Amino acid sequence: MIKNKIGNLTEKGGYYLFIIPTFLLISIFNYYPIFSAFYHAFFRWDGVNTPTFIGLGHFRELFTVDRAFLTSLPNMAKLGGFSLAVAVTIPLFAALLISNLRNNRIQYIYRILFVIPMVVPWMVTIMIWRFIYDPINGLLNNFLNTIGLDVLAQSWLGNPRFSLLAIMFINFPWIAGFNLLIYLAGLDNISPAIFDSAAIDGVSSGISRWMKIDIPLIMGQMKIIVVLTVIDQIERFQAILILTNGGPGFSTYVPGLVLYKNAFMYSKMGNASAIGLFLFLLIFLITVLNIKYIKSSAEYGT
Amino acid sequence: MNRKIAKLNIPTHIFLLFVIVITYFPFLFLLMTSFKDVSQFRHDYWSFSLPLHLENYPTAWNVVKVYMLNTVVITSLSVLGALLTASLSAFAFARFNFPGKTLLFYAVIGLLMIPRVLTLVPAFVWIKQLHLLNTHWALILPYISGGQVMGIYILRGFFASTPIDLYDSAKMDGANIFQMYWRIGLPLAKAILGVIAIMNLLWIWNDYIWPLVTLSDNYKRTITVGLSYFQGMYSTAYGPQFAGYIIASIPLFFLFLITMRYFVAGLTAGAIKM
Repeated sequence: MIKNKIGNLTEKGGYYLFIIPTFLLISIFNYYPIFSAFYHAFFRWDGVNTPTFIGLGHFRELFTVDRAFLTSLPNMAKLGGFSLAVAVTIPLFAALLISNLRNNRIQYIYRILFVIPMVVPWMVTIMIWRFIYDPINGLLNNFLNTIGLDVLAQSWLGNPRFSLLAIMFINFPWIAGFNLLIYLAGLDNISPAIFDSAAIDGVSSGISRWMKIDIPLIMGQMKIIVVLTVIDQIERFQAILILTNGGPGFSTYVPGLVLYKNAFMYSKMGNASAIGLFLFLLIFLITVLNIKYIKSSAEYGT
Repeated sequence: MNRKIAKLNIPTHIFLLFVIVITYFPFLFLLMTSFKDVSQFRHDYWSFSLPLHLENYPTAWNVVKVYMLNTVVITSLSVLGALLTASLSAFAFARFNFPGKTLLFYAVIGLLMIPRVLTLVPAFVWIKQLHLLNTHWALILPYISGGQVMGIYILRGFFASTPIDLYDSAKMDGANIFQMYWRIGLPLAKAILGVIAIMNLLWIWNDYIWPLVTLSDNYKRTITVGLSYFQGMYSTAYGPQFAGYIIASIPLFFLFLITMRYFVAGLTAGAIKM
């Protein structure tokens, strides 16, 4: 470590000058809103007039009478469960296939091909999916008509029986992107020596090697993906806001959307803060449980 | 890596190529349709069709250019700001000893645990009270503030790993701590700074809810918000609409081609925090 005698500024507290911009910014734009969220979750507040304290009133209301919020919870669970299943397994399968390829150049090409869709702005992707689901001009219905399955064609986002499913199928086949990169990074880090010694023990390739070696050694990556996917699903409502706005009926409501509408359409800032606090606590709990109970690669390591 | 059975490869390629076709098809359809007029869209829905209606692009550009410009300005200022404040702090946390250092470091890193959904509403009211609503500062300042956090975490690790001798010899030459940061620390960190820049850039470029609620004038909007309104303007004319989506995708695409290595690292860097 560099000791105190360097430069002229140190004696006057020069070290602190380095961190002042950071702390100025985070106290104004991060810490103040955090405390405000915790505080106003217990107040009736429209963002303009003086807040009135109502204790747990918002939470009582949300969990007993607020139909939008009460419908949003099972929707979030369904979307979360489904996303978790596809986000963990499908990119893993693709990563195992790619890392099994002998030719490094071909591996690299596949990797790049699966990264490029991530570069497309998120809004463009969402607009493409809106177009895919469009009842008249959309790709999906036109495809069904072309192959003679016109009976199945319908308003995918406008039918409450299919709207949630349609949201789930955004980004089908769910391979491209971040999770694949994380898995590939994990698989790249496995030492070839492990495969060599496994081959001596008769575990040389294919599914048995995946189950016995590759997958246990990338449990750390899997853990990351589980946490990030769950957090993302609890927070996320942007796509739903654009595609269905929660409808038809309450069929695609998620808690984040209820928060958004209560705050920015009805000026119920206190109520929205309470939803934000609830979602934060949920995320916090899941993160802690995950760190505590899911074994990471370090514990599996050799 | 060793022994792989060759026969496994053919089904692998078939599967991966099939998935790539499904993944890319909508994007190719978008590109193809962006050159069509209304009647070509009706009659040659699935196929490529001549003549190419290149004028869809200037039509779309006229609408999206202001959004693009706003986004470029906001993103560059935010990314540069975050790189500056993050590197300054990280340098101090890695290289100096001062009272309260550990506590202050955790005060920054702890923010990684805070989801944005918690602070969305209070931050909005706060920005309104600060009279920043409907200005680009409502975006830039919070983006710098939030963007530096991950940067500080990554850069602190990097600065701590740089050889101490470099700083010692600079000290001999009479450099003060700011010169050490600016002339030695920062140039060494170039690659990492690139990764952090890409990470923040993707986040800011794609952010939707925050610019949606903080900016109300159309000419101030960013590209994500602009595109969401764009659709309403061309309800039946898919050509110009899709041309707009292509234009909006071009900057990131070229940035990706130029900086592929940083890009891939930047995309995965977010996961380091676990």
